[in-house]
Amino acid sequence: MNDDGLDPLIHVPTRLKIVATLAALPDGDTLSFTRLQDMIGLTPGNLIIHLRKLEDAGYISSEKTRNGSAQKTTVTLTRQGRAALGTYTQALRDLLGGLDRDGTADHEHRRT
Amino acid sequence: MNHTSDTTAAGNGGTLGPEQAAALLDQTTQQARRKFQPSPPWLLVTRAVMVLAALGAIWLSVRGQHPYRGPTAADIPVLVAFIVVNFAATVAVRRHATAGVSGRSRFSRGEITVLVLAIVAAVVAMAGLGAAGVDFATYPTSVLVIPGLAWTVLMAARANWRELATGLAIVVIGIVGAFAGPAGAWAVAAVGLCVMLLGSAAAIAWQQRA
Repeated sequence: MNDDGLDPLIHVPTRLKIVATLAALPDGDTLSFTRLQDMIGLTPGNLIIHLRKLEDAGYISSEKTRNGSAQKTTVTLTRQGRAALGTYTQALRDLLGGLDRDGTADHEHRRT
Repeated sequence: MNHTSDTTAAGNGGTLGPEQAAALLDQTTQQARRKFQPSPPWLLVTRAVMVLAALGAIWLSVRGQHPYRGPTAADIPVLVAFIVVNFAATVAVRRHATAGVSGRSRFSRGEITVLVLAIVAAVVAMAGLGAAGVDFATYPTSVLVIPGLAWTVLMAARANWRELATGLAIVVIGIVGAFAGPAGAWAVAAVGLCVMLLGSAAAIAWQQRA
């Protein structure tokens, strides 16, 4: 965790988008690499780098299947990944709630 | 496992403050839910308007019939066109939403078989009861009961309570229609299905924002 109590692995725009997108599917459903790439808007190389980091942490799992000459990669959010996103979301809420109380975030909200 | 902060690394999209993170999380979640939704609210609302117009038009044409003779020859193409357009739009939108997705979001072969058999069973049952002289067998709402029950059972097995409620609503429309008379059943189908579709659209829109 970083100083804010936010998981640094998720607290990166691209990986936050990846995890949030996969979390929108029912538990256990898998998403093809190409559809995920299309939804996130990344190059394959960039997406692979971020997926590898999430997979190393156990937040996602991927599977490669071969159908003739075509290879298909699917990814899914693991229970650990779903739990990590839940913890991250709660940490954000706590953080923003704390900011709201001293008025700083209220000002930021109006500005943005 | 590398847990060092790398928010400034190239390709990550920059650094994030808590507020930007919350906004990005909210925006991404809502977008993903919309894109994965096989029955988007706009489609359900369109379907609600179409069903009210198509079935309502038939009700207007049959309500003055004494004795009841059924929809006129001019009504049948409207009804068939409604069913075909509705089916095609549903398949196209569902296919687009579930592209690249595998797992429980997609219907299994067994579930599709159950639904097809339910529709066939409804048509066969109506034909049989109609031949036996049972009045409500020819009502437009009666054909909804068996597929509605099948949908309810499938959604109960999936623990999908919103869709289960939709299935029950379809069954209720089918049963209420049986008491409305042959012409009145068209009005029950038009209003009942329209309300059910608008309710589903509202529930999905609310879920997507939650």
